Amino acid sequence: MPGALDYLILVPTLRCNLACSYCQVSRAAIDARGHDWSSATLAGVEALVGGLTGPEVKIEFQGGEPTLRPDLIRAVIDAVPAEIQAQFIICTNLQTLNDEAMALFDRDDVQISTSLDGPLAVHSRQRQVDAGEAKGFHANLRTLLARYGPGKISALPTINPLSPPDPEQLIDSFAELGLDSIYLRPINYQGFARKRHPASRVNGDQWLAYHAAFVRRLIARNWIDRSRVLEESYFSLLLRRIFRPGEDRHVDLRNPNPIGRDYIVVDHDGCVYPTDEARMLTRAGIIDLSIGDIHAGWDTPERAALEAAATNDGDPACEACAYQPYCGRDIIDDIARYGRIDLPREETDFCRRHLYLFDLAFELIHSDDPAVQYSLRRWLGLAGETGALAAP
Amino acid sequence: MIPLVLNAESDAEAPFVTRLASRRSADPRESFCLSSTPTQSLWCGMEGLFTLAHPMDALTGDVVLVDPSARRAERLLRAGSPHNSLLVTEQCDQLCVMCSQPPKKTHRDRFEHFETACRLAEQGSVIGITGGEPTLHMGPLLAMIERLLADRPDLGFHILSNGQHFDAANTARLAGRLRTNIVWGIPLYAADAPLHDHIVGKPGAFERLIASFAHLLVAGARIELRTVMLEDNLDALAGLARFVAHNLPHIEQWSLMGLENIGFARRRWDALHVDLRARFAPVGNALDQASLYGVPVRLFNIPLCHIPPEFRDYAVASISDWKQRFAPACEGCAARANCAGFFEWHPDHLVEKVVPL
Ligand code: SF4
Ligand code: SF4
Repeated sequence: MPGALDYLILVPTLRCNLACSYCQVSRAAIDARGHDWSSATLAGVEALVGGLTGPEVKIEFQGGEPTLRPDLIRAVIDAVPAEIQAQFIICTNLQTLNDEAMALFDRDDVQISTSLDGPLAVHSRQRQVDAGEAKGFHANLRTLLARYGPGKISALPTINPLSPPDPEQLIDSFAELGLDSIYLRPINYQGFARKRHPASRVNGDQWLAYHAAFVRRLIARNWIDRSRVLEESYFSLLLRRIFRPGEDRHVDLRNPNPIGRDYIVVDHDGCVYPTDEARMLTRAGIIDLSIGDIHAGWDTPERAALEAAATNDGDPACEACAYQPYCGRDIIDDIARYGRIDLPREETDFCRRHLYLFDLAFELIHSDDPAVQYSLRRWLGLAGETGALAAP
Repeated sequence: MIPLVLNAESDAEAPFVTRLASRRSADPRESFCLSSTPTQSLWCGMEGLFTLAHPMDALTGDVVLVDPSARRAERLLRAGSPHNSLLVTEQCDQLCVMCSQPPKKTHRDRFEHFETACRLAEQGSVIGITGGEPTLHMGPLLAMIERLLADRPDLGFHILSNGQHFDAANTARLAGRLRTNIVWGIPLYAADAPLHDHIVGKPGAFERLIASFAHLLVAGARIELRTVMLEDNLDALAGLARFVAHNLPHIEQWSLMGLENIGFARRRWDALHVDLRARFAPVGNALDQASLYGVPVRLFNIPLCHIPPEFRDYAVASISDWKQRFAPACEGCAARANCAGFFEWHPDHLVEKVVPL
């Protein structure tokens, strides 16, 4: 079972200086009012953070563009008790870099997370910025990489599953920046975004084949160039879950999936959500998935109701599935796609995606191709260069 | 090598424990130095005057047990050392092929002195308890630690045990106040009962050990599993890794350890010792198997230059300060500060075989 709260996603402002085509958060305009934490909300967050019992916590700042309010970020950082080992992640579009943001980035306990959609043209198309602005982002990213090295920065590609970029080009655009981890995450359009991308409700076979081809490309590249190890982070997570029971910190893939216990999201208005996806669904007006708020707390009937359903135990399809011990349950994903959580599991996008990826994982684990074993061993963090993973 | 036992002279009637303080203090448990030469120091405390055959500077802060009739003093807790351990008995019911401290039949009960010493320990110390087999005296041992933790909850204990004496009657006690502050260091040499029993020299030891693990698991006890790498079990290590992953996933750490050339191992060195420079593959395989399944595993007592580069992260600079040595060539090595080096008593011709990094 999960322990105490040790992962927070905080949204100090909903305002943003971009208007990306896929933006899932129903962003607010840069000069809009009433979309930042009120002083009462800030006080509530400070009290929450100040009361953490540790020993560790990760706090992720999202938006909107959180660097528009560096003062709020600083206030949260300062509120963490000294004896707690804290790590902060600032998710930023890197459209602009100012001194206050840089001062935050300079801290050893701060990590930077941004989106890199691939080659410039794709990036500017999806972000609805002109080529000049896209260049600005790239220049800023390079500045930060030069200043801190790749260890401090992670980039997530935001990929349109209906027209994904050429795998080779996408890998190149990461590799040339020194970024080795790529998280292939198809956009799950909601609200604002779904109106523009109506075909996006279910990731078809085309996307699954793309994911597999991408993983195989990485395997081939790693084998040719042994000086670095490129990985697709979600596939690495799947591999770890196959071999390491208890690797349960990824809220999109765990079972049972406790709600509002070790992980919460606090929105710009103080509402508390179980995941960022739940926050977006609510903001998009599809269904209210808030479980409480920062003042009154979130040990609510809503939280309990969601949690009761967040398991694959007892599901007829999952109980009969060989992958159940490694798989998870993401009810928010089901709600997002189908507006319900009682579809037969095998008809859901979540199940199809995971069945496919676990099939791929086991095929690769049992492969006797040395190139495959080489990459799998690196992704699992094993030191030995060679040797088969499948137990003899 | 740092001396742990010193010649001593004292007129006291019975052995006593005291802490060697730099200055006179109000604490009656402390002694202070009256004079010191490079070879001897004179101390004054509740038990009168005593001399120790060692200079003051090297001893200040130590907790010593002075035995007037034996004319010696043991440095039970050396100031600032993370490697202090108390030998509670020399009795043991196993007879391991490589035992570094071959057992004796008789037992001298020194719990009272150890308890006094632990009360004088530095804040936050972790104190080793060794033997022989400490749990042959389970009752007094646990009682001592319970009393100590009541007054000194900052102390931790690392107890080396052969794991032959845990049963259902202990579990409630181990699950209580003792649970968080004791780590049990327990050896397991193979997943195969006859091989393990052969190495520890006791038929049925494996089966009894597995039963003990079940009781320790129920108690939620903290366990460090220890495996000395020997010629006998080298090829069984990968199998042991899988056994640990599947049957003992709750352990805190699995320690793979290099052999110490002392005790029985000295006589049987050539038959037992594995030269990892030539035969690392089975060890690497075991490290990989353990890591694959998420078992936290570390490599002890092996110098870094004897380990292939990709596995060096597993190594711990583990050899206790008082019995650690390096080769002359190590002086120029970039890795020296992170290196375990060698045991003081490691064969000379092997110590010379270093490759500075
Ligand atoms: S792959 Fe599908 S059926 Fe199998 S455990 Fe996951 S969700 Fe359940
Ligand atoms: S040369 Fe000496 S210090 Fe360097 S790794 Fe080898 S044993 Fe250790």
